[in-house]
Amino acid sequence: MSPRALLSDPALPVALALAAALLLVAAERRRRTPAATLGLLLVLVPCALALGSVAAAGWAVPPLVAALVAAALARERPDPLPGECALKLVWVLGGAFALTATGLALLAIATGVTAPVEQWSVLQLGLSQRMVWGVALPLVMLAGVVLLGGAPFHFWVADLFQGAPAALAPLAVATLQALGAAWLVQRLAGLEAFTDGATLARALLRTAAAAAFLAGAGTLLAQRGPERRVGTLASLQGGLALAALAISAGRGPLDGMVAAWLVPWAAHLALALSGAALLARLTPVEQPPGAPGGHLFRRHPAAALAGLYALASLAGVPGTPGAALWLDVARGLAANGHSGLLIAFAIAWLAAFTTALRQLRGGFGVPAATRPAHAVPATIRAALWVSGAGLALLGVARLALR
Amino acid sequence: MRAPLRLLPGPRVVGGVLCAAGIVLVLLPARFAPALGLELLAAGFWWWARCSDEPALQVPRWSWLRRPATALWLAAAIELALPGPAGGLPVPPATLAFWSRVEAIAVVWAALELLAALPLARPFSDLPGPLLAHGAWLPALLPAAGFLLLWRQAPRWLDVDEVREGTAALLLLTAGLAALRAYGRRRWTAGLRWLVVFDGALAGVLVSSRAVSPWIAVVLWAAASGTHAYLLAAELGGATPRRGPVLAMVWRTTSWVSTAALAWPLLAAAGGLAPRRAALALVLGGIPVALASWVNVARLVEAPERRAFARPVTGLTLSRMAPAALLAGVPLALASAWWVGFAPNGVYALLALLPATLGGALGLLALRRAEAGPGARAGQAAQRLARRAFRLVVGLERAVVAGAMHLLRALATPLRDLHTGDAQEYLLFLVGVAVLAILLPLLR
Repeated sequence: MSPRALLSDPALPVALALAAALLLVAAERRRRTPAATLGLLLVLVPCALALGSVAAAGWAVPPLVAALVAAALARERPDPLPGECALKLVWVLGGAFALTATGLALLAIATGVTAPVEQWSVLQLGLSQRMVWGVALPLVMLAGVVLLGGAPFHFWVADLFQGAPAALAPLAVATLQALGAAWLVQRLAGLEAFTDGATLARALLRTAAAAAFLAGAGTLLAQRGPERRVGTLASLQGGLALAALAISAGRGPLDGMVAAWLVPWAAHLALALSGAALLARLTPVEQPPGAPGGHLFRRHPAAALAGLYALASLAGVPGTPGAALWLDVARGLAANGHSGLLIAFAIAWLAAFTTALRQLRGGFGVPAATRPAHAVPATIRAALWVSGAGLALLGVARLALR
Repeated sequence: MRAPLRLLPGPRVVGGVLCAAGIVLVLLPARFAPALGLELLAAGFWWWARCSDEPALQVPRWSWLRRPATALWLAAAIELALPGPAGGLPVPPATLAFWSRVEAIAVVWAALELLAALPLARPFSDLPGPLLAHGAWLPALLPAAGFLLLWRQAPRWLDVDEVREGTAALLLLTAGLAALRAYGRRRWTAGLRWLVVFDGALAGVLVSSRAVSPWIAVVLWAAASGTHAYLLAAELGGATPRRGPVLAMVWRTTSWVSTAALAWPLLAAAGGLAPRRAALALVLGGIPVALASWVNVARLVEAPERRAFARPVTGLTLSRMAPAALLAGVPLALASAWWVGFAPNGVYALLALLPATLGGALGLLALRRAEAGPGARAGQAAQRLARRAFRLVVGLERAVVAGAMHLLRALATPLRDLHTGDAQEYLLFLVGVAVLAILLPLLR
């Protein structure tokens, strides 16, 4: 596989993310009934398939995946947290899909056609009231923005990382976020034909991205739970996708942007979240400065470093494959003169970077005289290694292309 | 059960290697090297702190070192994202100009924090470093790294006039405070740490004033800062430079000459300003120089001999050779400055020597006056006053920073409260929908 194919084809990274999830399913198989394990697999595989073909996902895929994830969470019986998470997903994503359906209906009524590309051409003729399309267009975009998990819709992402099983959360979040971005791409296709609409859509995307960056950065630095920190980092990734769309939307066909940025971003997100979320589960919550390091860090420092590499890549630490995705967006924002959004972007990046290094220092903590007697199960460590190795491969591919 | 990471050498070596690599990287011209260098320096202090006897105290104490590194990462990222007209990306000129300023501020921020010129971590030189045996010496590394950063990254901030002038003002204030603190502290090692801060700050003002070429400032700084760093290191190993009247006088002279040489071009360059500004610059720059010169001369007292018969030392020891090596660059630098066109007004050139001469002479007088009397009492009162003045300034700065943090927290609390339960998150969802779907389109 050539480096270019590795970066443009999400198959291998998504397969590795699925492999990491399956390793965790295997690690937890004694805790679950065979039916529950099968149920989890029936969600993970469609998620991976949807993620692997994100650019071609139809309009029905996001609600279906969201419903599958909510159903899988609702089945996690002994623990009330996944059930609460499922409920939240249903009302947040269900509400967003309902409002988006309203927007779609409004646009169809205003234009008399249902295909987005035709709708924009009709609206450019000026036959419809501005008030109608001015409300309909943001409503149509709402599902995508909520699925991307940027603030103020960021709570469901952190909840999912805290409440969902370790095997399910990373792939589910990455899939829903990637489908959100794909939804926006599909709904905004051909928008360049409608100048006022393109201006409004770009302004909305910029506002949503700025809110995602600023609120995400503020939340990240105050966040105590390691799982919620990873959730907030994932919501910053949603902000990143919104900013990338704000640069390209309404300026021409989005196919180039999808192939060059969105697909690699989705593949990287799945892989990075797999490692970072698992590391978060193995990291103690809020340690005092003089405390010894976490169990994983003291017993298996190399495996912990593999997990930290995934977290660093998610945060865009220079030298990781994730940093290249952040850099592409920064360059696009600079080239378009969006200094305001670039400031929010820089704040978010610095907050993410700081969080990754804090996790490193907090994880290793103060040296202890003895190391823990019990080893972390090999399957869990293998999942960390799979994620870290996959990201390293992506990094090497980027270096080779340079 | 053996500890993990057992292949690693001891904390002293690991921290030392990290700090040394950090300083080397700060000097390299590669884009991300200075940021990585400061990150390694911060990592070195963290490593020492976590392995110290009091990690709960030492780790938070030195955690601020990540802040300068963060500022430099931002500067490097800006340079990478906005490569300028040569980079191939058509960045609008207004955007480029704005972010060039931000980059200059980020670079200067990193250097100023290390030079104790920002109110956030100013008094770090009051405390010894985190390593038990060499702790007293370690904080001297930070102003040195700060000045080296300021010098190596000069092209990124010297051309932005507001940043350059602001930097000069902050560094001049820092030089004053450092001299005041060095004068006020009773312990010679603490005084030396503040003299290292003074050297870095004064050399930074010299670079930002553009009176001489940056490399000349570096040579002069190396003499002054090297002298104080050597004295500090020697204090931890038997105070050799203070053993015997001759050696003490040699080191006193070295310390005084190097400080005077660093200050002279800066004060002499005031002749190029308008008369009022020149007088102000001479007074504002002269007082700290005089104070630092006094400390250099009066505080380096001969160490008492504890043996009945002093051990005879013959030949060339390091403490005997070092002054010559440290001072060798001073005439070379000053001659080079003159050679490349530094020709100050004659009157100002003489006036610029006055603060150091006066401070040194008063220091000699104080050194000779061993008996208690009104002079000694006045000196003690002046020292108390210096300590109070420094504490007042630092206290005021801390109050302002704490006020700003309180305000920030007060603004952030309602946002945080929005996350405290499901009911609030329903509200958040509604607010998001309302703003995104209704308010923004209508406002446009």
